[in-house]
Amino acid sequence: MIQNPRKRFLRLTATNLFFLVICLAGLVPILYALSVSLNATNSVFSEGFSLLPSQFTFQNYRSVLFNQPFLLWMRNTVLLAAFTVVIALSVSVPAAYAFSRFRFRGRSTTLYLLLLLNAFPSILSMFALYRLLRLMGMVNTYTGLVIVYTGGMTIFSLWNMKGYFDTIPVEIEQAARIDGADDFQIIRKIVLPLAKPTIIVTAILVLISVWNDYIFAINFLSTADKYTLAAGLYTLQATEQTRNWPLFSAASLLASLPVLVIFFAVQKYMQSGLTSGGVKE
Amino acid sequence: MNKQSRPWAYSFPALVVIGLIVLFPILYTGYISLTNMNVYHWFNFRIIGLQNYGKALFVFDSGFLPALLRTILWTVLNMVIQVAVSFLLAVLLNSEGLVLKNFYKTLLMFPWAMPAYVSILLWRLGIFNSQLGLLNHWLGLLHLAPVNWLNGNVSAFFCCMAVNLWMAFPFMILTMDGAIQSIDKAYYESAVLEGAGTFTRMTRITFPMIRPIVAPAIVLTTFVTFKQFDIVFLMTQQPGAKTGADIHTVITYAYEKAFLTNNYGYSAAISILIFAIIIVLSLLYRNPIRKEGAQ
Repeated sequence: MIQNPRKRFLRLTATNLFFLVICLAGLVPILYALSVSLNATNSVFSEGFSLLPSQFTFQNYRSVLFNQPFLLWMRNTVLLAAFTVVIALSVSVPAAYAFSRFRFRGRSTTLYLLLLLNAFPSILSMFALYRLLRLMGMVNTYTGLVIVYTGGMTIFSLWNMKGYFDTIPVEIEQAARIDGADDFQIIRKIVLPLAKPTIIVTAILVLISVWNDYIFAINFLSTADKYTLAAGLYTLQATEQTRNWPLFSAASLLASLPVLVIFFAVQKYMQSGLTSGGVKE
Repeated sequence: MNKQSRPWAYSFPALVVIGLIVLFPILYTGYISLTNMNVYHWFNFRIIGLQNYGKALFVFDSGFLPALLRTILWTVLNMVIQVAVSFLLAVLLNSEGLVLKNFYKTLLMFPWAMPAYVSILLWRLGIFNSQLGLLNHWLGLLHLAPVNWLNGNVSAFFCCMAVNLWMAFPFMILTMDGAIQSIDKAYYESAVLEGAGTFTRMTRITFPMIRPIVAPAIVLTTFVTFKQFDIVFLMTQQPGAKTGADIHTVITYAYEKAFLTNNYGYSAAISILIFAIIIVLSLLYRNPIRKEGAQ
């Protein structure tokens, strides 16, 4: 495209300025929390809003990590997330494989019904789940919460991985079958290695959704030492919000950090692992 | 095993898990919706037929219909702004010669990457809070009286919308950006030769070309927006910290009836009605959803 270079320069400068302003404005809630959490002077507004704290301190972070049950909550969260990932994936990998590779009666109806079930907001069946778990004495136990998380995550994992399996050429498996491999060998030696990206991405997405859930955690767990990070943070802000604003900022940023790291690390994977999901029906 | 039963055997564990943990509670919710179960009738509830549904649908004061209308308004407003602004930003991101594009994209992604509940609580405390919030701080610098942003219905509604848009923009911008990149540059070149201006190129080439690619994402985001719970709940409805604004969406309404006012039968009826609405909507959009999969 032919353009006046001066006009082009002005236009690019304007676009760059525009995006710098937009990006900064978008980060204000996070940057503000960061600034508050690092500020030593407790009266937040004595010197007005600035992104750089006037007196730098890590005291809030130290007190979150060592005076609060933060590490205990984190351990609980990791435990819950790990169990959920393992169970959800080990039941949904073979199912995703079956729905991708075999053509059988009831296949597409089942797939569609699963999508409908997934469209049901899980919060709406929370009371029914609560009542059922209470009947079985599993309220305020990790078993109960893992069961709850696993259910919804299984449908998601099944659909997500099925989409990826669809994109793996079936010819590779046919070749192996001609060479005399049975189903089990094909899955272990060919399908699983090829499907590694989608398994990793799905596992991470399941992990993140368990990590980020607070509503089931606060309703199904009742004692503070069993809390997950999200439930703990929720209670922290609900009970003593104003006094502890710097502490809460520090805690919430610490709780977000692992998710941010993982998110940006697998972001490239995520786009391919997810968008390839719908290419072939 | 023959070819018909083998896939069922493989998917049996998953289907059992889903049947017991997802399907059964939904059916149980349907059963509860036909009873008068509440905090006084925890065990000795009885079947009362469709009374709960009648109350929800024909008694305007019960609050369900206003919540439904509010939810529809919420969804429409959010989606229109989200799609329009994301489109403009995505087009701008693809301006020729924008070297820092990936840097901007990374910064724009933060609201998506943050845990939603953390973002919402940070907005509530850091931006909208009447004593600590930045908005009132800025008003103070202008010598204006502080505002209780989350107290009034209208202002709370728009505050929640701001948060929702903030969290939803990244996904929409990235989806549109990906779609725009897939357009063959030759179209633009010949359009320029034909004398088409920026606006014409945008409305005649970019928009129609990305429409089939972004349509499934838009449909899915519409459902997500319709089902949004966390923002309204965390900003205005927290037990013990209600702000006084009544901006219930259908989902926060159902939640309150079950977990705060303990009217389980009624709440279950609301849940089933919401599910019915979602099913009807997804039948309308059956194809785009199937294309996109379970994203």
